[in-house]
Amino acid sequence: MKNQYLSKPAGEADALATHRPARMLRLRTMLHVGTKMMFHDKLKFAGTLFGVFFAVVLANQQLGVFLGLLSKNTMFIDNAGADLWIVPASTQTLQPGKPVAMASLYKARTTPGVAWAEPLLFGGGSVSLPSGGSEQVTIVGTKAPNFRGGPWNMVAGSVDALRSPDVMIFEDSERDKLGGLNLGSVREVNGYRTIVGGFTWGLLPFAPSYSFAEYDYARVLLGSRSDETSFVLVGVAPGLSPDSVACAIQSRNPDYQALTTRAFRNRVLRYLLVSTGIGATTAMSTAFGLIVGLVIVSLSMFSAVVDNIREFGTLKAIGCRNGDLALLLLVQSTFYGLLGSLIGLTQITSIAGFMRSPKLALVLPWQTYLITPVIMVLLCGLASLLALSRIRKLEPGMVFR
Amino acid sequence: MKNTQDSPRVIDVTGLSKVYGSGAIAFAALKEVDFHADVGEFVMISGPSGSGKTTLLSVLGCVLRPTSGNVIIFNRDVGAARENELPSLRLGLIGFVFQGFNLIASLSASENIALVLRLRGWEPKEAQNEAAKLLAEVGIAEKAESLPRDLSGGQRQRVAIARALAGHPPLLLADEPTANLDGQTGLQVTELLKDLARVHGSTVVVVTHDQRIHNLADRIVYLEDGQIKKESL
Repeated sequence: MKNQYLSKPAGEADALATHRPARMLRLRTMLHVGTKMMFHDKLKFAGTLFGVFFAVVLANQQLGVFLGLLSKNTMFIDNAGADLWIVPASTQTLQPGKPVAMASLYKARTTPGVAWAEPLLFGGGSVSLPSGGSEQVTIVGTKAPNFRGGPWNMVAGSVDALRSPDVMIFEDSERDKLGGLNLGSVREVNGYRTIVGGFTWGLLPFAPSYSFAEYDYARVLLGSRSDETSFVLVGVAPGLSPDSVACAIQSRNPDYQALTTRAFRNRVLRYLLVSTGIGATTAMSTAFGLIVGLVIVSLSMFSAVVDNIREFGTLKAIGCRNGDLALLLLVQSTFYGLLGSLIGLTQITSIAGFMRSPKLALVLPWQTYLITPVIMVLLCGLASLLALSRIRKLEPGMVFR
Repeated sequence: MKNTQDSPRVIDVTGLSKVYGSGAIAFAALKEVDFHADVGEFVMISGPSGSGKTTLLSVLGCVLRPTSGNVIIFNRDVGAARENELPSLRLGLIGFVFQGFNLIASLSASENIALVLRLRGWEPKEAQNEAAKLLAEVGIAEKAESLPRDLSGGQRQRVAIARALAGHPPLLLADEPTANLDGQTGLQVTELLKDLARVHGSTVVVVTHDQRIHNLADRIVYLEDGQIKKESL
């Protein structure tokens, strides 16, 4: 066999000596070597994967609890079925505060573009227990016959039960807490004899559970004045923009604010995130999970390079460039990021399913399943930089020492 | 990097010096060394520890920069080559056989060989076929799928030789190839290296302490204190 170089002019041999394979071929080669090296040391592979898994579970658990908390605080706004809310100007959360004059309800009903408007009453209630003592509930008064504002998610009884006198609907998950409630049970609420007419499921905010009464009965229970209410719910006529109708209502009710459901929801979220410190706390704990994952993956990949430093030196000596080895690390970090995300998301999904209850919900929106792998691949890429810096400094001449 | 004149010489080194460190701690590992190797030659470099053998091999292998002097390999002035050109030069022109074999532990014998070919742009299947042929040439075709840990020292060095020959580089550099082998195996492996290099038309430079294989050399260069003391045929 004749050596190809010996029969070629120097210029042509130069071209052969400086030939580099196409990028795709290099990628395939580094994919092959990278995965082989990765799986070879199974303990290190498992350790690195655990780092990603841990980061995924911890970060998503924190985020899921946080989103669950937020959804508890916005669930009423989301489910009330209103397009607009008329609220006192200083309102930051869905809590009873300064009342709204009933005049604003009548003004809203006569505003062009408004399909309907109903009052909504909120207030604290105390349920006396058969064993003595009492438990707190949030009394919600909604107007018959349409009952705008709830109840919803009924699991026993019906909304129409509220039409009967002295009837309320309670949260099913609070039955034991309220002394073993059943349909037809009788309790004293704020000193008034009240009959249980039905149960909802999951209407447990980050406050005492919602308990519904017909508006007039709720007014009695709460001792509210007939010319005041807590909020006014407004439905907009089909085809009209809620924003423009909100402006029209606002101009006629300068003492209150007319907010679209979305604006009200955002206001509540902003208050919770910024003013209560919940946002900062959650961001810190989520970041902590990611940082722990980053550190574990960084150290694992770095130690994998250090342990195999002679192999990387050999690869450089036989002609691999730093770019080739960066590609190799990129392949490994991408694999770690994707596989760790897959396992971590599977785990956190099963945890969410296991702990799903009205009291504590882990909310994992579908975006989680798209964003998590992307973040983890980026995180693992970042983690591989430490290993890459070691490889870049590596002199191929070390193979002769 | 420009070609120099056409020459039958694969290696043409003149006035090569290599100094490690600087100032008071400067150490000259090579001092004005002139060295050459012709096409198809099997040259051994011998000498005591610290004589500069490995430094010379490292410079010839384009893994170490000379401090001064000309290093022409296959008509290319590699001493003047840019840093980013060196990996391609090593990949295209030089095959390496290391003292510690330096096989990639996670790759099988055939994959270790095919890797060099794939880095040179061969398609995976072709590279794998060529690796199988090379393994047959070094006499361990049946070990193609074995990992390095499952091979004996002699078998590993055979794989290393096959890897060095992959793609038929014009120059093979071997650093103490018998150091980790028993006497008989060392001799067999060196004979194999010489025979295959001849078949493939490669020039071979071997750094060795091992006097038992000196008789296989076309020429032996003795280094001492960074200088060539004598050459023998």
